Amino acid sequence: MTFSLGKANFIPQVLRIKNFNMKFTSLIMIFFSHLLLQTPFIVMGDRRLIESTCKATPSYNLCLSTLMSNPKSTNGDISDLGLIMVGATKSKATRAIQHIKSLYMSHPELRHSLNECAQMYMAVVRADVPSAIQALDGGQPKFAEDGMADTAVETQACERSFNGRGQKSPLTQMNKDIENIANVARAIIRMLL
Amino acid sequence: MASSSDLENPISSASLPYSYAPLPDGEQQATNEPAVRHPKKAAFFLVSALLAVAFLVALIAGNGLKLPNDSNTNDVLSAMSTPQKVTPLSRGVDKGVSDKTFHPMLGADNSYPWSPNMLDWQRTGFHFQPQKNWMNDPNAPVFYKGWYHLFYQYHPDAPVWGKIVWGHAVSKDLINWRHLPIAMETDQWYDEQGVWTGSATILPDGQLVVLYTGSTNESVQVQNLAYPADPSDPLLINWVKYPGNPVLVPPPGIDIKDFRDPTTAWKTPEGKWRITIGSKLNKTGISLVYDTEDFKTFELLDGLLHAVPGTGMWECVDFYPISKQGENGLDTSVDGPGVKHVVKASMDDDRNDYYAIGTYDAFKGKWTPDNPTLDVGYGLRYDYGIYYASKTFYDQNKQRRILWSWIKETDAETADINKGWASLMGVPRTIVLDKKTQSNIIQWPVVEINELRTNVTAFKNVLLEAGSIVPLNIPAASQLDIVAEFELDEETVLRLNGGDVAYECAKSGGAAQQGALGPFGFSVLAHEGLIEHTPVYFYVAKGVDGNLKTFFCADQSRSSTAGDVDKSIYGNIVPVLKGEKLSMRILVDHSIVESFAQEGRTCITSRVYPTKAIYNNAQLFLFNNATAAKVTASVNVWQMKSADI
Repeated sequence: MTFSLGKANFIPQVLRIKNFNMKFTSLIMIFFSHLLLQTPFIVMGDRRLIESTCKATPSYNLCLSTLMSNPKSTNGDISDLGLIMVGATKSKATRAIQHIKSLYMSHPELRHSLNECAQMYMAVVRADVPSAIQALDGGQPKFAEDGMADTAVETQACERSFNGRGQKSPLTQMNKDIENIANVARAIIRMLL
Repeated sequence: MASSSDLENPISSASLPYSYAPLPDGEQQATNEPAVRHPKKAAFFLVSALLAVAFLVALIAGNGLKLPNDSNTNDVLSAMSTPQKVTPLSRGVDKGVSDKTFHPMLGADNSYPWSPNMLDWQRTGFHFQPQKNWMNDPNAPVFYKGWYHLFYQYHPDAPVWGKIVWGHAVSKDLINWRHLPIAMETDQWYDEQGVWTGSATILPDGQLVVLYTGSTNESVQVQNLAYPADPSDPLLINWVKYPGNPVLVPPPGIDIKDFRDPTTAWKTPEGKWRITIGSKLNKTGISLVYDTEDFKTFELLDGLLHAVPGTGMWECVDFYPISKQGENGLDTSVDGPGVKHVVKASMDDDRNDYYAIGTYDAFKGKWTPDNPTLDVGYGLRYDYGIYYASKTFYDQNKQRRILWSWIKETDAETADINKGWASLMGVPRTIVLDKKTQSNIIQWPVVEINELRTNVTAFKNVLLEAGSIVPLNIPAASQLDIVAEFELDEETVLRLNGGDVAYECAKSGGAAQQGALGPFGFSVLAHEGLIEHTPVYFYVAKGVDGNLKTFFCADQSRSSTAGDVDKSIYGNIVPVLKGEKLSMRILVDHSIVESFAQEGRTCITSRVYPTKAIYNNAQLFLFNNATAAKVTASVNVWQMKSADI
């Protein structure tokens, strides 16, 4: 049987060096210089991937700022970029639930709608996001797309809860933000299909 | 939140009860480091080793460098090479029907205020589904000690896909089911991220073995062996996973996430067992072949069973013999001059199941399609609607080859979360070669489904003038079995001038688009004023050469007033031979409609989510929306009882 995926395999390589101290130091120095020399290429190559990926999403700037602010994007492939975006969606949805809870006490007249919205965002955090992450990790992007598509729909359903009762939604901007980021995540995931 | 990258923690990865046993080679004793004699040196060594590993890892991961190709470490390292960082190409548009998953439009308000009443109605009366949560692929269908077994991909925690386990149910008749406990959970490192699809093989001595894909703790796809804990238990409640799992891991050159869904095994001329597993190389869909004597050690054959460029990843590959002359199904090991073989694959890229009929060379382990222009992925589909991850098995009880398939939802996932469940299995179908055309298979609902028929209403020779619609006044029109024959009036057909036939169900205006000779058929799940209705119809067109072309379509465009459901039109051309009347059968079962033309030559499965045409308001109409031809229809409609599911 073949395989091992452990990075532990590097250790035996190092073990084979007989004269530790001297050869090891020079090895470290070679690595350092390699790293320094390679750095501009790493940054350039990945920046290009991030830019071209974001160009194919409905919100270029949102995509760019979200990815660039996450260090994992520097070495990521498209699946990793997707995971970052799904993570960002989860963060926003989690904060949404907190925000809704805070409004619940101060706006008793909106309680029914707020309650519905909380349910919807809990569905996002408990079902959609874990499903998308599981799918991206497992190499089954088609299921990840379903999760992010649903997230966008939940934000719209939340708006509708207020509108349907003839109320002004206090969550419009927040819902829009999350809809946008979910759509960006979805667009990135589509690139894997 | 699971991290997909073990780059962050290279050392901690090494200390996991690791994924793979190291090769029995002195250089690879990764976890057996030689004892370090001096503590100070040990500390220095450890720090330097950590740094060295970190740099190496950063270097390689950052630039996708290939590691030195030492012959001893070849296999190990190739399995480690970083995945291609190529921007994926968009799906080929040359596939014809581009119907992919249903998705609401970006930007529009895609939520609909579904009421519990509307959602409750959607649950089916006689289609297999678990009590709640998510289901996908059918697994290891088998007849064993008097029971039909169905296992299935199941997410026990939510009505969305997730960490999948094997659900399990048994039946005496493929129609009434008894749900059993989960057969296999994600309790081993080699299936920690999912107990994915697999198949059963019954050995000549009656032993049952299962091979299935596990998604490991590192999300690598491997194949595992499992068998009943108690072979004398006809319900096969408990299962044992072979302690030596995994029995197969991705071979060199195959991506760790492109290796899944092992088939039922069949005998080779040498007396070994052979299986096939779908994968891909760039955009070429392929099927790898392995031989084994004990289901524990396998030998990868040099060649592939088959490959088709441009089709992408092949999921749920199926391979089985069909009889050229006989009416029965064949055991998967059967071969010989009276036999053709079918290769089927689920195309990950377009979410449809394709098959082709061809010839198998058992000595080479290769299969060739009879018609290369209609090769797997470009030619025939089992079903022109929603039908994926299907799998057949040989039913030795009644000597049939039976087909199961996953039928997903085409509503918004929000609704699935609200209603608490998602997905169905289609009604199982028997498969035989179409003896008349010799170039396609025929699928038909298993005869056992007829046991649910009750209260038949017959209409003989109903004359439908051009542009007419007739209500059939059938109560309880949410669960129906409709069998009908149609005849176009000869005179109009002969009189008509032929023309270029450019019709395609998916691109047409559906039942509202009138032609001289069609559309005509039924509107199911129809509301009184037709605000909602789902036409299933024939559209006949006369070609320039005077020959008729017949299309069979299911039209969801007006099936619901809700905005967040799929409104596609599905269908395909259906071969109609001289002397044949046009015939169709439709199984209506709440939110699923299964339609069959010409005794199963063309099949269409649809998901339908009306908001008004539900419960007592669901009706059935017969219509002829052609502009010229009269149509004579003879119809039998049965109300269908619900099954125990």
